[in-house]
Amino acid sequence: MLVVDDEPQIVRALKVVLREAGFEPVPAETGSQALDLAAVRPPDAAIVDLVLPDLDGIAVTRTLREWSDMPILVLSAVGEEEQKVRALEAGADDYVTKPFGTRELVARLNAALRRAARGEAEPRIEADGLEIDLAARVVRRDGQPIHLTPIEFDLLRALARNRGRLITHRKLLAEVWGPEYVDDIQPLRTHIARLRAKIEPEGEAGAGGFRLIVTDPGVGYRFSE
Amino acid sequence: MSFPFGFLLASEPPPRRVGAIVALAAVALCTLIVYPLAHVAPVVSLSVVYLPAVLVVSVTWGAWLGVTTAVISAAAFNFFHLPPVGRFTLQNSDNWVALGAFLVVAAMASSVAELTRARARDADERRREADLAAEMARLLLRGNSLAEALPTAAARLAQTLELGSAAIQMEAVEADERTVAFPLREGTRRLGTLVVGADTSEANLRRLQERVVPALEALLSAALEREGLLGGVVETAALRRADTVKTALLRAVSHDLRSPLTAISAAGAAVGSPSLSAQEREEMASVIQEEARRLSQLVDNLLDLSRLEAGAAEPHRQWTSIEELIRAAVAELSGRPGEFALSIDRDLPLVMIDAVQMERAFVNVLENARRHSGGYPVSVRARAVRSLAGARRLPTTSDGDAGEHADAQRARGDRVIVRIVDRGPGIPPAQLERVFEPFYRAGTAESGHRGSGLGLSIARGFTETNTGSLHVESLPGQGATFVFEFPLEQPAPEGDLGVPASAVGSNGVRAPVSPVPGGERTA
Repeated sequence: MLVVDDEPQIVRALKVVLREAGFEPVPAETGSQALDLAAVRPPDAAIVDLVLPDLDGIAVTRTLREWSDMPILVLSAVGEEEQKVRALEAGADDYVTKPFGTRELVARLNAALRRAARGEAEPRIEADGLEIDLAARVVRRDGQPIHLTPIEFDLLRALARNRGRLITHRKLLAEVWGPEYVDDIQPLRTHIARLRAKIEPEGEAGAGGFRLIVTDPGVGYRFSE
Repeated sequence: MSFPFGFLLASEPPPRRVGAIVALAAVALCTLIVYPLAHVAPVVSLSVVYLPAVLVVSVTWGAWLGVTTAVISAAAFNFFHLPPVGRFTLQNSDNWVALGAFLVVAAMASSVAELTRARARDADERRREADLAAEMARLLLRGNSLAEALPTAAARLAQTLELGSAAIQMEAVEADERTVAFPLREGTRRLGTLVVGADTSEANLRRLQERVVPALEALLSAALEREGLLGGVVETAALRRADTVKTALLRAVSHDLRSPLTAISAAGAAVGSPSLSAQEREEMASVIQEEARRLSQLVDNLLDLSRLEAGAAEPHRQWTSIEELIRAAVAELSGRPGEFALSIDRDLPLVMIDAVQMERAFVNVLENARRHSGGYPVSVRARAVRSLAGARRLPTTSDGDAGEHADAQRARGDRVIVRIVDRGPGIPPAQLERVFEPFYRAGTAESGHRGSGLGLSIARGFTETNTGSLHVESLPGQGATFVFEFPLEQPAPEGDLGVPASAVGSNGVRAPVSPVPGGERTA
């Protein structure tokens, strides 16, 4: 597990947390040092701070992505929204905002790793009483089938196959509609709303947040585990 | 102090005709007077009787008439009184002496009179100019706005100097066929221009150039300086006020920052102690985390606030679902179930706002509401409001129906309204606006002092930056309702879309495919 951050306190804290979670942290203080280390011993995943003394996190992400599919998590600070989105578009899988809850960090890391491990072979996904049969293109809640339009199903599939991970608006649009449509947010919002109306568990409408499809404001969506 | 005979020196002499009549009448009168006087004095010395006539006419009507009167008087004296009576006698030296005297008197009197009159006119003129200068000074130096005073000053100038028209401009203006322009300068700096009609007399033009322009320049320069200074005074007062606010802010912030830091410091020191039980260690750890979270939130708020104040909070707008934001905000506040009761319209239209900023705004207001709600659920209601005029037929233009439709919608005030209602103690009317001030805290016993006092001002700042509005309605004892309003800019898509159209607008947002025929909206 590559950890790239120029602040020693953060690195120290991360080392402890990662070790607890069963990882072997490999620290790096600068972007170039990180890239060198990664080339010598390719890590399973990388945690990269957006702000580094030499390159920035976006450049490191982009370079890593040139030759590896490893999960990359970026550390961003409040006010760095734009860089965060750019990092995600450069290939980062997810992000945490400093100061981050360690539980959140580990959860997102694990989700990203699981996705990498899962690969393509997964015919059925279950989440919170919802059953998604990817092969048969059928969705059921408590045994009762729910009718989804083809677009809605594709959307659900894109979200569910990446569950736990952040998917940016652009990635969703590219996957469901095609790369020419990556700027059209309106239809995305509309369809997500309709999808939610159909699959979110009853009784949640009054109580609070969405349980299955979680909004990451301004950035994208997550399908909960 | 009135002078006898002063009326003779009136600045406007009566017309010549009158003068001629008076001259003849006076001469006739004097001639008649000599007759009785001839009994008490030798006739030849009575020529002096004609002097008053000559004087009066000279003084009143000037040299020409005066000389004429002198000649007529001499002739009359000669004819009627000098022997041989009834005939003009030219050899008599008395005649010539008298004539000579009359002529001298006429000349001197008329010229003295004219001089006096001229001096009086001059003095009058100068007095009027002085009055004018005083009035201009009053207009230009005592008023609030120099720009507003200039037309009045120019009007007074024109009136007093009897000009056809006058105007004072604050920039350099060129003369044209109808105007004459006098540049007004202070040293090398151009202050403005005095513009008068081309029909102004030469004399007035000279007067303007020699006397009015310098005075005007001095006044204008003084007025400009005064305006500059006044501006400086206002700015200094504002700076001083800002300083006071800043000091208060710093004090408040420093206290708010220090409390969690103290807790973290203490817990951190304690954690290292070997005599701690496992449970105590866990407690210390959670204190550190919780206080760190509080600190982080405060820092975020301060950053947001300072960005808003510096005008650096540029919104990154995208089509956003208000429903999503509200639910995301509620999720972030991760409260116990039942803390928030949501009632959100289906198919709430999308709004063009910065999602990150507005989510923080909602979080702030929701948290504030929860804190004050005294355990009762906070109700959140969101709906779209459309004016009833929607049924009216709109005139179509060549732009296309959709464009006209959008403009009309804006004018009709369609908007999304979010109301966040708490059941707390309410806000007194005097504080309804003050709650949005930074660092304002309600400070009541129930709410405690936990809030930073920044949340609401940040919420309003972000809302307004995203062209929305936020206000609060409340009555003491009856809770408070925070109302967000977002105007709808375009007809947001609600119809079945399926595959999106490929037309991408200039801001990267697809123009909606409107159901109205021919409705491709021009970007």
